[in-house]
Amino acid sequence: AGWGCRGWRCRVLRCPAQRAFYASALMRRASDEQKQELPPSSSQQRYESHPPGDRPDQEPQRSHHSYTDQGGEESEDYESEEQLQQRILTAALKFVPAHGWTADAIAEGAKSLGLSVAAAGMFHTDGSELILHFVSQCNSELSNLLEQQQKLVQLGQAEKKKTDQFLRDAVEARLRMLIPYIEKWPQAVSILLLPHNIPASLNLLTSMVDDMWHYAGDQSTDINWYTRRAVLAGIYNTTELVMMQDSSSDFEETWHFLENRIADAMTMGHTAKQVQSTGEALVQGLMGAAVTVKNLAGLNQRR
Amino acid sequence: MVCAFLVNSQQLFLCLTGYERKWNLQTEQTSLRFYSTGMTLDNINKPDIDRIIRVDHAGEYGANRIYAGQMAVLGRTTVGPVIQQMWNQEKDHLKKFNELMVTFRVRPTILLPFWNVAGFALGAGTALLGKEGAMACTVAVEESISAHYNNQMRTLMEEDPEKYKELLQIIKKFRDDELEHHDIGLDHDAELAPAYSLLKTAIQIGCKAAIFLSERI
Repeated sequence: AGWGCRGWRCRVLRCPAQRAFYASALMRRASDEQKQELPPSSSQQRYESHPPGDRPDQEPQRSHHSYTDQGGEESEDYESEEQLQQRILTAALKFVPAHGWTADAIAEGAKSLGLSVAAAGMFHTDGSELILHFVSQCNSELSNLLEQQQKLVQLGQAEKKKTDQFLRDAVEARLRMLIPYIEKWPQAVSILLLPHNIPASLNLLTSMVDDMWHYAGDQSTDINWYTRRAVLAGIYNTTELVMMQDSSSDFEETWHFLENRIADAMTMGHTAKQVQSTGEALVQGLMGAAVTVKNLAGLNQRR
Repeated sequence: MVCAFLVNSQQLFLCLTGYERKWNLQTEQTSLRFYSTGMTLDNINKPDIDRIIRVDHAGEYGANRIYAGQMAVLGRTTVGPVIQQMWNQEKDHLKKFNELMVTFRVRPTILLPFWNVAGFALGAGTALLGKEGAMACTVAVEESISAHYNNQMRTLMEEDPEKYKELLQIIKKFRDDELEHHDIGLDHDAELAPAYSLLKTAIQIGCKAAIFLSERI
């Protein structure tokens, strides 16, 4: 049933006319519900308390406009469906600690914006969009933070951190963003690991570790580019698992664990370098031996 | 074929799931600032630029390995200095693309270890056919690469010549260098190599395949 529903929604989003119909149908449903819930006078009052751009009863009208100008040239006060979704999801985050990553939280979020709870119908029932929205919000917050730090270093107002210290702090800063939701986070992780969510969650994970390495000043353009990111992603995910089971105050044990993992990775990097240089020396030795054998066999005559 | 199928099925998958695209949006349009030159690039076409820099980096990396292979065999013969000189230019090219890769935050192709081995084997293998063989290899490779650079310049010109001015200048200079190598190869009797046309065609097909793969993975 989930797949069928998704296919339908896809088609709706693709075709402008149907999309507008979908939006207006949704809003009609919304206003119907409000009429049922509330006596007319109070519903009128409620509408008046909205800022002008948010009046739900204007929504169908605006959708009719979008029949003609779907090409991205909507008037400035027009809010696209995507922006509306983002707004609802951001509002819904407040209700996650109480309701979990569910359609209920989204419905509460929509209600807090003065929209109908039926707005939750715009999203998947498993709450995956809410989680992905949260993760991508945290990622951009982190990258802003790292960018600011970089600027301070460039202006000479802060000292440049060593790579291991920088990565440790970046991962800690990112994981600390989960603290308000830590009770419900195991549920989110299990939803992110569902097969149909893996492409999106993997994308967000890779872009996060890429940001971290970028601001750590990574200059690698060879296969190290991949190993570094894979190692950091591994560290992040294992530390996240530890964090979910950590009951120490202020997650002391988690940060301790994180420090050890970073140190391990650094040692691994040094060992890899040593192995490589040993290998190179070995190859040179073999080449030398081959030349000697060639000379002994008299094959080294100049052409 | 298989690869094309994989790419298609991935797209199909993205279509089916639909909403994944949304979470990629932040990477599609990007603005970058070059601290070195003070030039700003707003709203560059990131996927296209990524592909161009990735494949060019892979190409220069492979060319370096080819010359390394040739030098390992022919380093002490009369053509040694000629090959060394061309190799040095390729080293500069690779360095430039390394810089660009960091500036534009482009992912290198995952096939680099393979190009490392394959490039060296191609260089050493053709050099074992004699110096004409090595030069025939140079001619074939440089011809493909300069044609490829020309295609990229056309793409960038179609996009916006002003916005990509710096990149266009770099590619143009490198294209001229590669054409020079091509001519040096011809001057050094490349056409006298054993089975010249067969060798050249085979190498050029290989180059096309390498370009196709490096752009994508």
